Amino acid sequence: MHTEPTPLLTGRGLVKRYGQQHALAGVDIDVSAGEVLAIVGPSGSGKTTLLHVLAGILRADEGRIALDGRRIDQLGEAGRSELRRTEFGFVFQSGMLVAELTAEENVALPLLLGGRDRTTATDAAREWLGRLGLAGKEQRRPGELSGGEAQRVAIARAIAHRPKVIFADEPTGALDTRTGHATVHALIDSARTTNTAVVIVTHDRELAASVPRTVAIRDGAIDQAVPAA
Amino acid sequence: MNPVQLAWKVLRADRRTQVATLLTAAGVAVATALVLLLASLPFATESRAERALWQEPRYELSTGVAPTIAWSFSVDEIDGRQITRVDIAPLTDGDIALPPGIDRLPEPGELLRSPELAALADSRPPAELADRFAAEPVGVLGDEALRFPEQLVVLVGHTPDTMPANALELTAFGTGDPRPDQLLTLLAGVGLVVLLVPSLVLVASASRLIAARRERRLAALRLAGATPAQVTAMVAAETGIAAVAGGALGVAISPLLHRAATTVPWDGGTWFAHDFVLGPGLVAAIAVTVAVLVVGAAVVGLRRVVSTPLMATGGHTRKPLSGWRLLLVPAALALFFWTLSRANTGDGALPILVALGVLMWSPTVVGPWATSALGGIFVRSWRRPAALLAGRRLRDDPKAAYRASAGVVLAAFAGSMALTLMPSLESEAGYYSQFRDEVLYLDTNEDRAGPIAAAVDDKLARYGLDARASRVDQAELVSGDQYHTATIATCADAERLLAGVGDLPCRDTPAIYVDPALDVADAGVPDASTGSAVPLPADAPVVSTDTAGLLLVDPALWPADAPLLEVNVAVPADERTRETVRTALLAGSGGEQVVSKEMKLGQQDTQLADLRRVTVIGLVTASLLAGVSAAIATAGSVMDRRRTFGALMAAGTPVRTLARALRAEAALPALVSTVGAGALGTAVGVGLFGLVSGSPAVFSPWLAAPVVLGALVALIAASVCAPALRRVRAEPLADE
Repeated sequence: MHTEPTPLLTGRGLVKRYGQQHALAGVDIDVSAGEVLAIVGPSGSGKTTLLHVLAGILRADEGRIALDGRRIDQLGEAGRSELRRTEFGFVFQSGMLVAELTAEENVALPLLLGGRDRTTATDAAREWLGRLGLAGKEQRRPGELSGGEAQRVAIARAIAHRPKVIFADEPTGALDTRTGHATVHALIDSARTTNTAVVIVTHDRELAASVPRTVAIRDGAIDQAVPAA
Repeated sequence: MNPVQLAWKVLRADRRTQVATLLTAAGVAVATALVLLLASLPFATESRAERALWQEPRYELSTGVAPTIAWSFSVDEIDGRQITRVDIAPLTDGDIALPPGIDRLPEPGELLRSPELAALADSRPPAELADRFAAEPVGVLGDEALRFPEQLVVLVGHTPDTMPANALELTAFGTGDPRPDQLLTLLAGVGLVVLLVPSLVLVASASRLIAARRERRLAALRLAGATPAQVTAMVAAETGIAAVAGGALGVAISPLLHRAATTVPWDGGTWFAHDFVLGPGLVAAIAVTVAVLVVGAAVVGLRRVVSTPLMATGGHTRKPLSGWRLLLVPAALALFFWTLSRANTGDGALPILVALGVLMWSPTVVGPWATSALGGIFVRSWRRPAALLAGRRLRDDPKAAYRASAGVVLAAFAGSMALTLMPSLESEAGYYSQFRDEVLYLDTNEDRAGPIAAAVDDKLARYGLDARASRVDQAELVSGDQYHTATIATCADAERLLAGVGDLPCRDTPAIYVDPALDVADAGVPDASTGSAVPLPADAPVVSTDTAGLLLVDPALWPADAPLLEVNVAVPADERTRETVRTALLAGSGGEQVVSKEMKLGQQDTQLADLRRVTVIGLVTASLLAGVSAAIATAGSVMDRRRTFGALMAAGTPVRTLARALRAEAALPALVSTVGAGALGTAVGVGLFGLVSGSPAVFSPWLAAPVVLGALVALIAASVCAPALRRVRAEPLADE
């Protein structure tokens, strides 16, 4: 008998308002373990808000979110921070690396903040930088790296603590098309090795088409007119 | 659109620019108001001195002009408050020009007194105060004749023959050139540096709030074709708006600051409101100078954008700081001590102030290097993320990290300097007299001593006191080629009145009492006219005593007409009788200077209390300014990195972890730098103390106070980082 896999991350009836405006108007969404999902939509459609709500950066006004069947939308700020630190990883548009830290220190930082010791954290950082093709550049600062390299450092940082889900918000926005796509595929390949789910917000249709599943969003709601890939 | 219009447009549109402009304006206002106050201090003391010219001792060179008045000055005290007394007698029948505030010259037996003295005299028994002047009050001195509002001062009229022995004959009453208080002028100069620098650091910290954003905006304008002159004009306009508004505000609040300053006592009293008034030209010049300095600093800070806009938009790698910076401190110290060594060559205080300014500036150069070195230690040895973040930040941009603590460092420097000076000056204070502590005495001449002693005894008897006046004189004796100072008094009076003299083996008949260590064989009174010595009576008994250095000659053995060095009339008193004995001495002498331990120590205490008060006010003000600028600088450093911090918090980094890192970042340079500044301040304090004394400086545990205060201010200031981070968290991640 075929059974549907239990979703890792579930959002139901998600509503987020900014004043009178509905950024999210009742979104239902599931993300399975190890799945790669692209959320696409025009500017202002609510895709980044959906990512922030799912990741616990923003609190939904209505609706429920569960991770591994456990409600996370009711957690307080401290609980959500811990969740983001331990269960989630993040890749932002321009890396948002700490400019003063080396690539190795940037990757090690979430591990250190999670309580790992210096040796464990830096060893893991070096390992992931190597996997992402940045061996030999561990001591470079973000300003000394190319845009693509900086994004791969951000990917290493997002994955080094082996999260369950990585959220990537416009990860190719600051890169040329070829570098952007290569970077995203580096992220997807890395995530596959750890069975980490990846949720990518992008307005790049070509990029979205290259990932296994796409969800379109418009005016804060899932756009049923666009078939999921 | 001209630069001013563009600046207005940015100011109206951007909230952070509004906050930065407000803070810049506030910093300029504080700086302007403080400079206006400090600049007015020499003028205020000059105003005081001008009003008190008639009370000041003045010696005239002989000009052939006939003197018109006999004039004498003395100080008195009651309950620790100084009374200034001027005795005057006309020497001519003609009109005598009177100083402002004095309506008429008191006739012999009359007096004019200040309102405060009148109230005090009327509130106490005459024997304690009013009788001292032995004259009838006939009027009150006006404000124009008072050094300060609550001054106790009296002008007593005489005939020439009743004037005190030390009276001067002057051609005019109350004329001359008023001179500003040199100590307060020096302190105003020090205060100018100590308080102005934290004010300007505050302004710099405020502009840092928008520095990154403004730099990007201006670089974009440069890339779009704006000329360096146009960009410079825009920045000048932007900063100019804050500087002009701040300058105007500073001028507006300056009277409030001046009013507050009038309540701070100096040299025995507070101030009249008009003492601190500066001329409108000077006020305008100061306000414009401060504003121009601020605008100039902003324009100089633009040079990177003007020269290489691409670098400004794309970020840049900072050059490591050179270790040569460390040499500035010993160089500045050497310059300071060199100017001190030349202090007596007539160059005045300016070179010392300049060297002091260089010394105070040196931590600004060395501080970032020390901060970078500290960051390096953290980077190598970190174990926790807070230490890593703080270490990298300190290492990466030590100038910015140090900026937060620059004000605190100056406060620590100034405080250590003052706290080195204070105990050292206090150790200098003391009462050195041949008389016991409880004895009051006056110094007069031989002709007047007898009548004065009789009149004093008469007063004492009338006041019901048992004490009586005694003559205690001093004279020179020569024995061979050895000169000695002898005390001429009876043995009983010496036991009763002289300091360091215990029980003496007093004889019933006149004798000479001497420390056997002194060689007084064949001692005599030197006679300058003959070059020989008038011998003491050969048959006078010489009694050895165990009182070191004592050479006491009974008056009965003193040759008639032999010269005396000093003629004193002394009376012992106690706590209960002191004021009455003082009254008897003053009334009986017609206003001779009466000396007592309480009066001498009271004068020293007043000076030290003045210094202590000014130090505390300066230290607290500097600390407040430093704390505010450190807080703004910390907030600015959070704003500079808002996107990074926002991303870290979005990724789950707790605010408290980042806050801890930022606190370490703000507090560690302050801790290290305040220790260094404390050591520098102590060295400068020792040097300045050497200007006024040859004694070694005294070091007290309070020297640690400015360092602790500096660290505390830094910690408090760093506490703004948590609210700033929470604000960053509340903002959208994609902002900017």
